[in-house]
Amino acid sequence: MGDSHAYDVLVVGGGATGAGVLRDLARRGLRTLLIERDDFGTGTTGRYHGLLHSGGRYVAKDALAARECIAENRILRRIAPASIEDTGGYFVATPDDPDDYVDGFQAACAAADVDCEEIPVADAFRAEPALNPRIRRVFRLPDGSVEPWQLIESNVADARAHGSDAWTYQRLVGMERDGGRIVSATLRDERSGSVTRITPRFVVSCAGAWSGQIAAMVDVTVTMHPGKGTMLIFNQRMTDTVVNRCHKSSDGDIMVPVHTVAILGTTEQRVEDPDRYEITRDEVAALIREGEKLFPDLGRMRLLRAYAGVRPLYQPPAEVTAAAMKDGRQISRAHTVIDHDAMDGVENFVTIVGGKLTTFRRMAEDTVDLVCAKLGVTEPCTTADAILPNQVPGKTYWLGHRLAEHEAEGGGDADLLCECEFVTRPMLDDFLDRHPGCSIDDVRRGTRIGMGPCQGGFCTFRAAGLVGERARRVGAADVAESADRAILGFLRERFKGTRPIAAGRQLQEQWMISGVYEGGLGVRSLIEHETPEASREVVDVHR
Amino acid sequence: MTIAELIFDAQEEAVGYSSDECLKCNVCVTVCPVARVTDLFPGPKYVGPQAQRFRTGRAQPVQVPGTPFALSPDLTVDYCSGCGWCTTACPAGVKIAEMNSQSRARMKAGKRPKLRDWGLGQTDLVGQMGVLVSPITNRVLFNGPIRTIMEWTVGIHRDAPFPRFGKRTFQSTWKRRQKRLGSRPLPGPDKAVVYFHGCSANYYEQHVAAAAIAILKRNGFETIIPEQVCCGLPMISNALYGDARKKARKNIDALVGYARQGYRIIGTSTSCTHTIKAEYHEMLDVKDDDATVVANATWDICEFLLDLHEQGKLDTRFGRLDEDLPYHAPCQLRSHGIGLPAMELFALVPGLRAADMDHDCCGIAGTYGMKKEKYPIGMAVGAPLFDKIRASGAAEAACDSETCRWQIEKATGTRTRHPIEILLQAYRVADAAGGATPGPLSGAGTRAP
Amino acid sequence: MSTADVVVIGAGLAGLTAAIRVAESGARVHVLAKGHAATHWGPGGIDVAGIPAASTPRDGIRRLAGEPGHPYAFLGDDVAAALEWIRPHLAAGGVEYLGDLDTPLGLVPTSIGGTRRAAILPAGQAAALAPWAVGERLIICGIRGFKDFWPEAIAASLARERIWEGGNRPTSVTAVSVVLPGLAPRHNLNALTIAGRFDDPAWRATAIEAIARAVGSVPGSGGRVALPAVLGIREHAAILAALQKRLPAAPFEMPLVPPSVPGIRLYTALRAAVIRAGGRVQIGEMIERVEHDGRRVTAVVSAAAVRTYTVRTGALVLATGGIAGGGLVAERDGRLLEPLLGLTVEAPPADDWLLVDAFDPAGHPLELAGIRTDAELRPVAADGASLFDNVRVAGSLLAGQRYVRDRCGDGVALTSGWRAARSLTAVPAGHAAEPGSERP
Repeated sequence: MGDSHAYDVLVVGGGATGAGVLRDLARRGLRTLLIERDDFGTGTTGRYHGLLHSGGRYVAKDALAARECIAENRILRRIAPASIEDTGGYFVATPDDPDDYVDGFQAACAAADVDCEEIPVADAFRAEPALNPRIRRVFRLPDGSVEPWQLIESNVADARAHGSDAWTYQRLVGMERDGGRIVSATLRDERSGSVTRITPRFVVSCAGAWSGQIAAMVDVTVTMHPGKGTMLIFNQRMTDTVVNRCHKSSDGDIMVPVHTVAILGTTEQRVEDPDRYEITRDEVAALIREGEKLFPDLGRMRLLRAYAGVRPLYQPPAEVTAAAMKDGRQISRAHTVIDHDAMDGVENFVTIVGGKLTTFRRMAEDTVDLVCAKLGVTEPCTTADAILPNQVPGKTYWLGHRLAEHEAEGGGDADLLCECEFVTRPMLDDFLDRHPGCSIDDVRRGTRIGMGPCQGGFCTFRAAGLVGERARRVGAADVAESADRAILGFLRERFKGTRPIAAGRQLQEQWMISGVYEGGLGVRSLIEHETPEASREVVDVHR
Repeated sequence: MTIAELIFDAQEEAVGYSSDECLKCNVCVTVCPVARVTDLFPGPKYVGPQAQRFRTGRAQPVQVPGTPFALSPDLTVDYCSGCGWCTTACPAGVKIAEMNSQSRARMKAGKRPKLRDWGLGQTDLVGQMGVLVSPITNRVLFNGPIRTIMEWTVGIHRDAPFPRFGKRTFQSTWKRRQKRLGSRPLPGPDKAVVYFHGCSANYYEQHVAAAAIAILKRNGFETIIPEQVCCGLPMISNALYGDARKKARKNIDALVGYARQGYRIIGTSTSCTHTIKAEYHEMLDVKDDDATVVANATWDICEFLLDLHEQGKLDTRFGRLDEDLPYHAPCQLRSHGIGLPAMELFALVPGLRAADMDHDCCGIAGTYGMKKEKYPIGMAVGAPLFDKIRASGAAEAACDSETCRWQIEKATGTRTRHPIEILLQAYRVADAAGGATPGPLSGAGTRAP
Repeated sequence: MSTADVVVIGAGLAGLTAAIRVAESGARVHVLAKGHAATHWGPGGIDVAGIPAASTPRDGIRRLAGEPGHPYAFLGDDVAAALEWIRPHLAAGGVEYLGDLDTPLGLVPTSIGGTRRAAILPAGQAAALAPWAVGERLIICGIRGFKDFWPEAIAASLARERIWEGGNRPTSVTAVSVVLPGLAPRHNLNALTIAGRFDDPAWRATAIEAIARAVGSVPGSGGRVALPAVLGIREHAAILAALQKRLPAAPFEMPLVPPSVPGIRLYTALRAAVIRAGGRVQIGEMIERVEHDGRRVTAVVSAAAVRTYTVRTGALVLATGGIAGGGLVAERDGRLLEPLLGLTVEAPPADDWLLVDAFDPAGHPLELAGIRTDAELRPVAADGASLFDNVRVAGSLLAGQRYVRDRCGDGVALTSGWRAARSLTAVPAGHAAEPGSERP
């Protein structure tokens, strides 16, 4: 792990917020290490609907949050265009939405500086024919969709270019506190089991819904109220535009086109443990019923899977709000930077909770401002101005690009390993070159392999085969074991996502794939019975 | 509504959404005649339900090099011949071929059609001009050097099958005949049918029209032939949807009056009849009431004759034809979903040993196999069929679709006829033996067999 | 409009088997199917009862027949007869099957580096089954550029003792890759494309030489060579013979993900047998409804352009498959329907369909779902009362079998198709449309 573990700051949690904090600290000259117990973006960041908020969903109830969203929306479009699809958003008034809300919507947007234009409903129906024909008014706002994993990668790459680092599969197992200071942190490599001790000057917890567990390591209490949000992934984009109900935000009222699929969000349900929850058929049915108010044919469209994310909800005690406001700047209720010096007497520890992916950069800025103040660093924040690495100004994501690139090569200049998502062998090779030792699941997040209708049935063994071939080349020892993990793990996870939505073609698909694997391919023989895989009650993220 | 009902309903659903039904199982790939013989076509699953997921109404923000700066990133879908086997074999009801046809149209929408694609689509125009100067055109079309020049300039392969133009159109022959006979009262729908001759019988194969009229008369039906134009399929295949829609409109307007009175519309080209039955609605989105009435009244001639037989109304007094008859069922016939009516009719002819060649596609697929870059593909697709027909040693073969007949004839040297020509021959044998039945119309323009 | 004595819906192993036997009896049979399914997906063997506890298929049948509600309870005694009856039909179509009910169930290696239990295999796969001698080697021979077969990964996996359940296994497993003529620069090759090349005698001669060279480069002698299942369709037998002659080790095919070449060979042979016997096979038929007059089905109506296509029939064999084949459709609200006749489906409540772990050894309760019949394969209602006199249910639509997990699907399909045909053709003459007598 390198010679020196002399980091200025340790950031815990590799979601968007952690990556943003890492980047900001690095750009301000603080040598920082980010650690993540899994792969990047495997927590809440990777388990949401992919919306780049315009702020429209908050204008009525939290104008400050709305204002923050639109500001960050504009910044992200500038600094991370490749991670964003400029879908635009509609806020539509269905017969179920109250008149007073609809009537006041434009004014509320104006008050929060959110661009909002009412368009003729006929225009909306022409653009999106699947919309409910009973929609009576349509407002257009600058919503979009975000690719979270790519965004994290870009932030990490920028931080690395500024002398900092990020380690995945490193779990924080303990922190040593000496009076009012954290003096060291102990990490365990989740794959090799090896243990590392580091001695940062400062610790920032970006662990989201898991923040309570991190704080508890130094006897600090952070009471989180994890809120489960369930989402449904549809096989095709029935809309190219983000569509929101024009009402006070609630369950099943937003459809976000992300890559090749469309995601219906979401629900809100308190859970005790962010690692244990289940999705029920009833929940799925309720979501579809609501979603049908936006797209009446939703019930007949094919679902790929259901998944859920856990929101890092936090209700700050009054004294926290007061402490945060000491410097005279009002912090939106959307996120909270907890100064454990002021709150709990731990002088080099800060936790950031709440917030949303759209505002991750702003959350990082607020957090790092506080850290810098404590460490006496005066460098200003530059994360809003500098375009991220591997991004081309103005070149936003376009759905057709993979097909176009493949077609430009005559439709056959590369082996398509994942046929649903057009992941080619060179793409996979490139990813594996850049991420040595990664898992097939990491490859999935990085390339979208296995995310289409067959849910990995036709590509997982190919990916495992390629990994095997590469591993053999360098003489790696555990080729077969890692292939087993890939194939079994992938099939298990995909199965879990199918379970609550098992019906129609997707169940038929699942049955066909199990038939192939359990029949001619003998997949069961790969299962090692001595150490049954821990089966967490968590469905995997999928977009 | 249940998913089970929806699965049936999906037949009526938008073609694009039918990719929701796809199981990714590759069955379509196993039956694709084109993918079997060439690497230029990546196969129905790839260009169909897979590529469909990446098709969007949004333009590229920054152009991907090597692609048109347009909505559609498709290029390879042009190699789909449209034979429809993928749709047939799909266990889940995905309308793959139809999806491909739409994508092809979209791909070409932004671009001016190639002169050749335009020409192959304009069967009426080409036909009219060809007939006008048929001695010259026939000489040109069967002249090697000139065909080479055509290949260079407009991209029609020099060896592609091309029919001979008739001396005049069937329509003009028919009009003259009607004039000669003078006006007569129109018999009722149980005594007359409307004949949709299509381009091939009009411009090239007037003998097929003559056979149809004779067979219908033999079974108690007068023939009504209203003014009509090309069904529009060649334009659909060459992605000229606007032109195709105009043709559809003209035909519907010409036919709907008869259809509403209960007259059935009989066609001798399985392609034309399928276009009227299904593609006006599915591909061209022409789905008003008139279109539906016309579609519902349309029959393929063998389908119609077999229906007469089911009702005990077909004259089955066929004479003996002691011969082997290889039969090729054209792709378009399969899309009708009516089984193989010609084979059932052949079974009524004493001595006739008709054999279904049981081969998927002859390779011509409308005008696909005529194009310079696709001609070798078409020939490779049809090769096993040609081998079988040659191996049969039969003097003639039968097939319901004109372009397939030309392709088979050109490739095998075996005369290939419409099934009704065979049936007519059987009637004639009976007549020659027994005598007194009324003879068939001796139509002008009939080519000597 | 058309007329048949028996209509079979479904063109899988069960439906085509029934059709061959009906046609052989002299009756007119029409097979109508929406498309191809299980035959084109499966490994092309005849799995009768590949359960871990069983020593032979016969032993497996006996064990499964003892499980509550398993179709072998009434079909088990006929499996041997059905198997021996189908064998010559398949051989006539160029696919020879080796092994019988008393062949010991052994482990054969698979193309993801696992093993599966089998006893009755097509000739192309059969060499995998023999016990491994001490010192015997296994060479996994891949084809460069073919994305459905990864020899390095397969070899690495098969080198592990536990994959073979600690039992008999090859002493060494080695991977080689061969560059086949014209294929190396190609991309997105599928099994069928390569199989098509093998059918060409000139190409195959060069290919076989290349394979022989690659295999010859591995030190040692004897043993066996695993190749991806791409060894031709029409000319498979000749290709196999040529390889056996040329290679220093016994070749066998490993089935792949769909499209399955051995499965297509099986389908092709079955279809040819139906046609030889005078039956018809029509694919692409979307059945709209089945008409019946009380307890008798009278016609099957499928969608056609603008009108429908009707086949009047004296009897019906329903072989539409289970959930995978589309014979059973799961609704979002948790009902499981048989959409053609609306038959009673035996199924657990939706909340109990699936267990949490995909590979839970207990097996998902939904796997047992299907149509319950009497011993003559007539569908019955929940109370056991028979619903139709002239309908027989065959194949994976039958309730009570875990056709994938217990590897009994082929045995049930074959035997139920065979039995359905016997049952229909044995009905005494009298009804006009029902064929007369059974032929031995």
